[in-house]
Amino acid sequence: MTTLLIKLYRVILAIAILAVGVIAERTGLIELLSDPFEYPVIIELFIQHLYIVTFSMAFATVIGVTAGILITRQRLRKFAGLCMYIIGLGQTIPSLAVLALAMSFLGIGTKPAVFALTIYSILPIARNTLAGITAVPPELIDAGKGMGMPPIRILMEVEIPNAMTVILTGFRVALVINIGTAALAYVIGAGGLGDLIFTGISLMQTDKLLAGAIPVTLLALFADFLSELLGLLLVSKGLRLSV
Amino acid sequence: MKVFVRLSVCLIVISAISLSGAAVAGEKSLIVGGKNYTEQLLLPELASILLRQEGFDVTLKTGVGSVIARKSLENAQFDLYYEYTGTAYTLYYKQKDIKIMTVPEKVYDWVKKADSEMSLVWLDPVKFNNTYTLMMRKVEAEKLGIKSISDLGIYVTKNPDKLIFALDSEFWERPDGFKGIMKTYNFKLPSKQVKKMSVGLTYQALQKGLVNSAMGFATDGRIAAFGFMNLEDDKSFFPVYNPVPVVRKEILDTYPEIRAILKPIADHLTTEEMQQLNKAVDIDHKNVHNVAMAWLKSKNLIK
Amino acid sequence: MSTLRFIMDNFDEVMFLSWEHIWIVGVALLIATPIGVVLGIVITKHERFASRVLNGANILMTIPSIALFGLMLPVLAIINMGLGKVPAVIALVLYSQLPIIRNTYTAIKNVPSSLVDAGRGMGMDKWQLLRELEIPLATPVIIAGLRTAAVMNIGIAAIATYIGAGGLGVYIQQGIARVYPEMILSGAILVSLLAIVVDGGMAMLEGIATPEGIKVQRKLSQ
Repeated sequence: MTTLLIKLYRVILAIAILAVGVIAERTGLIELLSDPFEYPVIIELFIQHLYIVTFSMAFATVIGVTAGILITRQRLRKFAGLCMYIIGLGQTIPSLAVLALAMSFLGIGTKPAVFALTIYSILPIARNTLAGITAVPPELIDAGKGMGMPPIRILMEVEIPNAMTVILTGFRVALVINIGTAALAYVIGAGGLGDLIFTGISLMQTDKLLAGAIPVTLLALFADFLSELLGLLLVSKGLRLSV
Repeated sequence: MKVFVRLSVCLIVISAISLSGAAVAGEKSLIVGGKNYTEQLLLPELASILLRQEGFDVTLKTGVGSVIARKSLENAQFDLYYEYTGTAYTLYYKQKDIKIMTVPEKVYDWVKKADSEMSLVWLDPVKFNNTYTLMMRKVEAEKLGIKSISDLGIYVTKNPDKLIFALDSEFWERPDGFKGIMKTYNFKLPSKQVKKMSVGLTYQALQKGLVNSAMGFATDGRIAAFGFMNLEDDKSFFPVYNPVPVVRKEILDTYPEIRAILKPIADHLTTEEMQQLNKAVDIDHKNVHNVAMAWLKSKNLIK
Repeated sequence: MSTLRFIMDNFDEVMFLSWEHIWIVGVALLIATPIGVVLGIVITKHERFASRVLNGANILMTIPSIALFGLMLPVLAIINMGLGKVPAVIALVLYSQLPIIRNTYTAIKNVPSSLVDAGRGMGMDKWQLLRELEIPLATPVIIAGLRTAAVMNIGIAAIATYIGAGGLGVYIQQGIARVYPEMILSGAILVSLLAIVVDGGMAMLEGIATPEGIKVQRKLSQ
């Protein structure tokens, strides 16, 4: 609960700071936002950005959690260490490079962007799922076995709930990075808020730059806050209290 | 504790010095800037090779947009870079006189005079015209009967949802860019039909059929190689774009020989040759430095 | 492999860009470390600022990198330093703050209070405690924080090309513009390699910095 409040505080604080910045840039930014020709474009780019983020996160979560769970099953457990290592290696590849490589194999546009972001987001999610489940105290699993639970029930009722906090952290980290990396997707022709940021940079138009940078930042902070909220829903009270 | 503080202070001081080291000019050292497409990697490379031959220590800073390049020159972060006459005329000075901007000598004289008041000197112009062009695949253009930008305008007005156009954000925003074209040629392409991407990708997008028309540069080797055609600018919307080395007056006064060193590029580089050089880098994937060196050697400019 | 050939053919350029990249990250860390460590120590002694400072650093790290780089431009343009390595280094310094401050804070807070009491009992004053007890014990965790910051910065520095900072990101940027997959791959692999090497190097540093006694203690408790 405290973490939730802290995060809410952060979002509000950030909005306040950025609002001051916006007011300082009043002549540029507000003019841009109220320009009837530009405003719908900005909204469209925002929606495009959300689209890329949502799809890639959806795929990444499903694939990442499943992969993470699979590696912890009896037969594959010995590969767990190796997998962690490979995932660690994968995370050293810069986000821009993953986008660029997807472009050289899949072409220009939103498809390669979603693909690249999915791959990039799978890593933190899979790694945390793996770490979370392996960290479940073996006594709890034994207790489950003792109660006669089949492996599926142990997974659903013991392992996943106990690993949930860690898995959610992985999700949160992946989401925030995803939003930031989606801003780079402009470079391979996928649009999004990066369009405004890059245009602002290359033409030295601060109003465009802020029109892109501020929403992206707010989106990232908001997503961070939302993830914490999600934690409230998904992590059982007993575990939360013990944190 | 004190040791720690002293150490940190030392570290910060060292870093500050190394950072500012970039700004401290050494003996005969120049910063040559360039924009973010292949031609603007080649021209500075050609210039650097010649300058280094005469004992200059050249630092290359390429890969930025036009406005940034211009501001960098004005703020002495660049000493020299190649700017196009038309770009300076329309983008920096916001002029529109067709009688001046479509005549190479007139637009050159105009910007040269205007910039002399900013202590910027325009040296000898290179003769080719690297104008923006609107490109289409030859096959599709023939099928749709589009030969000029006016034809394109008529087509778009009749079928607003059929045409998709690829460009980069700079071309969208500039007065000599797409918005200006739509105004002059009297058509409006809905923003959904405009795909923005980084400048080099427009050729790929057109080639792969992702778009029907794209923005390009006239001297790009890919236009011929990919089977594109340039739509005729029948209303003379675009100015002439001759590349010219623009140098800060201070620097030229200190090293007047720069003019003579760079003149051979202006004298010898033709449109076809620039297209060849661009092609070597973009399509044959050759190294920029090697391509530049090879051309200079072929003109006996290497000692 | 054609990528390998690309690297060999352009070896000089590869070296130059790698050096630029290392320079940017290195300078950023050199500046970020004293600031971060000092701030971390300060907030352990003044708890009421702890959450605010940590929150601030966290917000900084949540800002998407390209947005932060972009924001540096108009701010620094006032002193004509808008482009290039300076805004890149400053942005990286800001990004590094969270791992460094947080690790310093946690590490010092985790020094067992029994040891602190023992030190006080031996007559150590505040500064001695810090210098001879808390910092040495906290060092390995602080270095772990530096390690996180270093690896993170190496990845983010690849994006700094777009504000003119150079570095290995140039290969990625130009590779995209020239549709040159070997160039992109070279850039990606080199950055990865750099990150792995630095990560390994700092892991060794962490090992060296851990006092022998602690290492033995860890082994025994496993």
